[in-house]
Amino acid sequence: MKRRDFLKTTSALMGGTVLYGLTGPAQAQSEPVRGGTLIWGHSETTQNLDMHQTGTASTGRVLQNVHDSIVTVDQDLNVIPNLAESFEQSEDGLTYTFRLRPGVMFHNGKTLTSADVKYSFDRCRNPDTGAVNFEVFNAVDSIETPDDLTVIVTLTSVNAPFLSRLAENGAGVVMPEGSGDEQGNTPVGCGPFRFVRREFGNEVELERFDDYWGGPAYLDRIIAREITEPTVRLTGLRTGELHMINDIPADRIAEIEGADDLQVVSWFPLNWDFVNFNHEFEPFKNPKVREAFDHMIDKDVLLEGALWGQGAVTASPSYPTSASFNSDLGQRPQDIEKAKALLAEAGYGPNELSVVFKVTTNYPYHVEAAQIMLEWFRMAGVDASIEQLTWSDWLSQVWVDKDFQISMMNFFTLWEPDFLYYSLWNTEGAFNYRKISHPQVDALTAKARVTVDPTERAAIYKDVQQIIHDDTLDVVLWFRNGTIGAQPAVQGLDTIVHPNGSNLRFHKVWLAEA
Amino acid sequence: MSYILNRVFSMMLTLFLISAITFAVTNILPGDVAMMIMGTQSNPEALAGLRETLGLNDPLLVQYGRWIGGMLTGDWGSSLVFKEPIAPLLVQKMTASGLLVLFSMAIALTCAVPLGVWAAVHANRWQDTAASSTAMLGVSLPDFFWGIMLILLFARGLGWLPSSGFVDPAEDLGAAIRHALLPSLALGLGLMAHLTRMTRATMTGILKQEFIRVARAKGLNEGTVVWRYGLANAVGPVMTVAGLQVGYLFGSIIVIESLFNYTGMGWLTYQALLNRDIPLIQASVFVIAAVVMLANLIVDLLYAVVDPRIRLS
Repeated sequence: MKRRDFLKTTSALMGGTVLYGLTGPAQAQSEPVRGGTLIWGHSETTQNLDMHQTGTASTGRVLQNVHDSIVTVDQDLNVIPNLAESFEQSEDGLTYTFRLRPGVMFHNGKTLTSADVKYSFDRCRNPDTGAVNFEVFNAVDSIETPDDLTVIVTLTSVNAPFLSRLAENGAGVVMPEGSGDEQGNTPVGCGPFRFVRREFGNEVELERFDDYWGGPAYLDRIIAREITEPTVRLTGLRTGELHMINDIPADRIAEIEGADDLQVVSWFPLNWDFVNFNHEFEPFKNPKVREAFDHMIDKDVLLEGALWGQGAVTASPSYPTSASFNSDLGQRPQDIEKAKALLAEAGYGPNELSVVFKVTTNYPYHVEAAQIMLEWFRMAGVDASIEQLTWSDWLSQVWVDKDFQISMMNFFTLWEPDFLYYSLWNTEGAFNYRKISHPQVDALTAKARVTVDPTERAAIYKDVQQIIHDDTLDVVLWFRNGTIGAQPAVQGLDTIVHPNGSNLRFHKVWLAEA
Repeated sequence: MSYILNRVFSMMLTLFLISAITFAVTNILPGDVAMMIMGTQSNPEALAGLRETLGLNDPLLVQYGRWIGGMLTGDWGSSLVFKEPIAPLLVQKMTASGLLVLFSMAIALTCAVPLGVWAAVHANRWQDTAASSTAMLGVSLPDFFWGIMLILLFARGLGWLPSSGFVDPAEDLGAAIRHALLPSLALGLGLMAHLTRMTRATMTGILKQEFIRVARAKGLNEGTVVWRYGLANAVGPVMTVAGLQVGYLFGSIIVIESLFNYTGMGWLTYQALLNRDIPLIQASVFVIAAVVMLANLIVDLLYAVVDPRIRLS
């Protein structure tokens, strides 16, 4: 998809995730019916089921249906009430008061109170828990529970992203008091489905929770079969053994769309991808060299070649409809001659610069993209080679040890701008594995943290994006589409994608034949 | 009896060595389990906390001692990545793979032995060529090819059998068998080819021997000569090969397990390795090694049963 079409789409449809639409023979919409077991071919294996400790998108995708967070977001990524029926922030921005919804039931039969919220937040911020999102609570001074339905969180300093970060289960989940130890293999929450069992590596079974505060779901049961091989998933869908599958491989989407007995849901963004430079690798210390590499890449062709066009090119990694998305930003066009000239200016003549591109086989399309880029790098007189790494090798070499020259990565659910820009581009950012240290970016991302006014904050992030682009700190490539393939009987699919683009919600999904 | 005790003792020693080597090798690999758990959502602080919680900062010998101590007292621990207790996990995955190995072995043997004998009896005639070509086809094409063909035919085309998944036999025996059938067939075809060639080769040798000529000269009917006298002598070598194949099967089963999304031991070990989940790697390698050694021990013992001339000492 070209940038122009993409902008048209985003302006036409509002939402954190933009539903491209449904194709195929969705059966005529009638009234939702209750009952039935939906069998979902899930693309990944769930790991540790403890919502605080798990860092994988796969596990979060399933647990989205088991847990609920204190607040949540609407399609436009605005924070809205959830388990808290109301919330307010004091004028100085330091105190948050949450009024909890009365009568919310946990799957273990207990009623949710402020003690559960305090327990959950305390557990997440305790370093011994090993919670992935514990830094969300860094600025928290105290958590008080004056009565059963009121929680008051006081911060030591203004932390603008605090509330938004609580809108995701990673930090905002509310677990029953004292349930921490069992969460790892028998998660208990207050979501629309109750966890029944996991046959490890094979399937996870969820069952409708009739006392769900938001009204009972339609499906009796969900069986999430973990099928990591895309071809096996597709076969299962075509033989009718599976009702639906997520993540159709890009090269097979056309085939499923063409099948007249299946429906396809696609949306973006599922995630976004970028090319990374190690800023401590001598040549990449010079912004001209980084810009030269940007000029070597034809993003549209790369999107076609590596993802069969299943996405939209972008220079901004902000969620397309979020306030901080900088739509004025364009990508640099491919210009090999200009790239050569820039390299020469930086002191690298033809074949004088050699780089190794480390890429992980965990994302096969990254390998394909790297192979295509390699040809362009060579055309520009760079002596380039690829090193393919397993996921664990990539994590240890690139992410932890920062031992690489050029690499590529994607991120799934970084829709909250502080989580995105501070983590990735601030010198102190937790995800700054490229050793980027840019004083202006540091100052702006720090300022945004203490800026409460949303418009002002969005403007700061737009400036950050401008710098990332102008100084080519990384090369942002595209948003990748998410896809679901389903039998015609599966209904309510327009509600299934969470605004974060990665999680799937089965609360309003139903089976027509049940 | 002392023979068996000796064998068991040496098995224990081997297993101990295997566990020590596995432990050492997995620790040399770059990366650790804390990193795998947090993935690209990790930050140095959280990572350090998790490493401490998981006990990864302890000296290697302490970690190994803790593991061996646990094993000896029957506490196999929990998977670090998946938070599942290891012992029941191994039982479940071993059942899954065991079912596949057993089925594919049964399929292979019931087809291979008659086919091999038939080829040997008609050595160098068209029957032999036909049997050998069939066997050759099985050996030359990898088992995943058969897997794909079987899925296309029986799952996509005819819709008789499920294309993927595993069902616990304790839950639903019928469904368990239906799910195991296609992957077993895919494995069994390759195995059958090996065993057919083995049976044919052994039988041809035996049928040329003196005692067979004597049996024929005595006027025994040809069926008795071939099956009673001939095959009885060929069983030993065929069994040895079949026994060795059990080890091979546990090693190569991973491809078929992925193809049919039939998550068994191969899959489990691979996941454990990918995630640097040391307790799980240790336990799976240990169990696979034990099963392979046990299979070979059983074959050796059966030897004595089928061929009374053999004395185990």
